[in-house]
Amino acid sequence: MHLSVVYVTVGTTKFDGLINVVTSAPVLCALQKLKCQKLVLQHGNSTPVEDSELQLIHEKYGIQVDQYKFRPNTADIQAADVIIGHAGAGTCMDILNNGKAGLIVVNDELMDNHQLELARQLASEQYLYYCKVNEVSTKLASLDFEALRPYEPGTENMRKFIEALNELMSH
Amino acid sequence: MCPNNRTAQPIYVILGSGGHTAEMCKINQALMQHDDLKQYQSVRYIVANSDDTSEKQIRSALPALKDSDFIRVPRSRSVGQSWLTSIFTTLWALLWSCWLVWRDRPKLVLCNGPGTCVPYCYAAYLWRLLGRLPAHSKIVFVESYCRVETLSLSGRLLLPLVDMFVVHWPALATRYAKKSNLRYFGRIL
Repeated sequence: MHLSVVYVTVGTTKFDGLINVVTSAPVLCALQKLKCQKLVLQHGNSTPVEDSELQLIHEKYGIQVDQYKFRPNTADIQAADVIIGHAGAGTCMDILNNGKAGLIVVNDELMDNHQLELARQLASEQYLYYCKVNEVSTKLASLDFEALRPYEPGTENMRKFIEALNELMSH
Repeated sequence: MCPNNRTAQPIYVILGSGGHTAEMCKINQALMQHDDLKQYQSVRYIVANSDDTSEKQIRSALPALKDSDFIRVPRSRSVGQSWLTSIFTTLWALLWSCWLVWRDRPKLVLCNGPGTCVPYCYAAYLWRLLGRLPAHSKIVFVESYCRVETLSLSGRLLLPLVDMFVVHWPALATRYAKKSNLRYFGRIL
């Protein structure tokens, strides 16, 4: 699978670990092997990458890197071949609802990280993958993104909920 | 707002921040689609004063909504607010919720987890107990989609008193299997 455009997103969090790892040599090598040409970094409240470093990455790996803090990101999501993101529910839903391949990277520095539960659940149902920061390069090299299942909204379950609500309201 | 809308008991939908509102948009869309008995027509959306995005989000999901369908309320606590001042703002928000629920007598309070929903559920419970709300009015809580193994704080506060408490994931359904008001339909989103 070719990952021409890779979108990295941290939402509103500060997740320097993720920004650092995706601009590290092992990950860039893995991306280069996957024919990555463009890397878009939404760094949110994390420390941005220095411009000189972006230039070096372009020269060394042939990967063009764009970064920004916040902007409406629907276009970025739709343009991506794979989304690498933090374990926020919003990011998970963006991946699923847009039918994108996704790799959720868990932030070990967050103490009460209940959002990890969602990533783990969705991964157990093969809708996306998740890993730790230090695993990103090996996962990118080994994961088969084409094996992920497409996500179907729970329309039938929603109907059951509304029937139960109607039933409740009739008493 | 026409007076008939007031006497016909409305439904209160409590909106909150981003993720919760996105989920509530989908629930409401489905509710409108399957409203064969026409019982979910008169909905009032409760939105915090400081929340600019929730109203936009729900309006783009349900374009037919009017300005009068929204009720603006004070927020109980803003991010970063000190706990001392938040005692007063929380009390103020609580008084507001008691007044609104007393005034409108909603037949259903429907919410899905933002902190703003807690006082409305307690107010509805209280007024129903005291006879201001009819005995058949209901309080329904849908837990956030991202709660897989543990309940949110709002969820824990509301589980003892709501009429139906919906979870999305099997681990929570198993964990609270003994609670008769807890329902699991599989993930509904």
